[in-house]
Amino acid sequence: MFESAICQIIFYVFAVLAIACAVGVIAFRNPVASAMNMALCFGFTAAVLFGMGAQFMGIVQLIVYAGAILVLFLFVVMMLDVKEEERFCKLPLFIGLMVASVFAGMVVYVSINLPGVQDITCPFARLCDNIGALAVTDTPAATACVQAPSALGGYLPELNSTAANLAANPGMTPESAAAATGYPDVKLLGKTLFTQYNIAFVILSFALLAGTVGAVALARKIRKD
Amino acid sequence: MTIPLAHYLIFSGILFSIGLAGVLIRKNILVVFMCLEMMLSAANISLVAFSRAQGTNGIPVYDAQVLSLFIVAIAAAEVSIGLALIVAMFRATRSVDSTSLNTLKD
Repeated sequence: MFESAICQIIFYVFAVLAIACAVGVIAFRNPVASAMNMALCFGFTAAVLFGMGAQFMGIVQLIVYAGAILVLFLFVVMMLDVKEEERFCKLPLFIGLMVASVFAGMVVYVSINLPGVQDITCPFARLCDNIGALAVTDTPAATACVQAPSALGGYLPELNSTAANLAANPGMTPESAAAATGYPDVKLLGKTLFTQYNIAFVILSFALLAGTVGAVALARKIRKD
Repeated sequence: MTIPLAHYLIFSGILFSIGLAGVLIRKNILVVFMCLEMMLSAANISLVAFSRAQGTNGIPVYDAQVLSLFIVAIAAAEVSIGLALIVAMFRATRSVDSTSLNTLKD
């Protein structure tokens, strides 16, 4: 009870901080200050991802966004020696903010009105509270339980490390899965990535290679002779 | 209890809208590009939240997380190309102002 209250507070704190840093990105005139705010924003976003139990995505967010992409941005900002802007806006400020606000209102409206989001006693949420204990004592009953129709939304289920361990290691008995601590997030993600999406993964690596070659071809100095 | 899915979606939507506002109002093309990256990462949050919400037995649906992993990789490729284009633009016009690209206009 106490732990989940802490989790809740941490999510809201990091969400508000991330939004504040995102506002900082577009409010500062100095591009270096914008880049630093973007680093903080990505860090807080990674914290939100950690809180959701997606540890691998959080690490990737930190390494790729806050590490690689941000350093590239800072490198280019420093290399080009960008001055602070004299005139700030290309559109009138009012129009840009109005378009973005209308979009934000639309997204919030749709999110609130998703089916099941308002329903606090959503069956999905209550199922997953006891499913860990049930998976150990009575596996068929637990399987039947989770095949009940789940509405989209409601409360996010608690991470069930017992069931996840069972799914990752088919040879494991329910007892040893319950005894094993930790949530095999990377293992399950890797299983999906390298079996179901293997071809897409290989094609993606070609896209990255094309990106590297293209960046070198675009940014090199063209000789006149 | 844990946090409702709607709050994650609202958070991701607000982050996306702030990025959209930046793309619309900022003149410095580097900051516009930073805001594009922010919009991509906001989309990632909502994908991961959906993967958690739609999971059975407390196990997330990893297809959504694989999709957001692909988005991260494509974002990295896109940044390298885009920054190379910005450097080329700076060489041509000596400016990173998006309103300075008006050769076809006048």
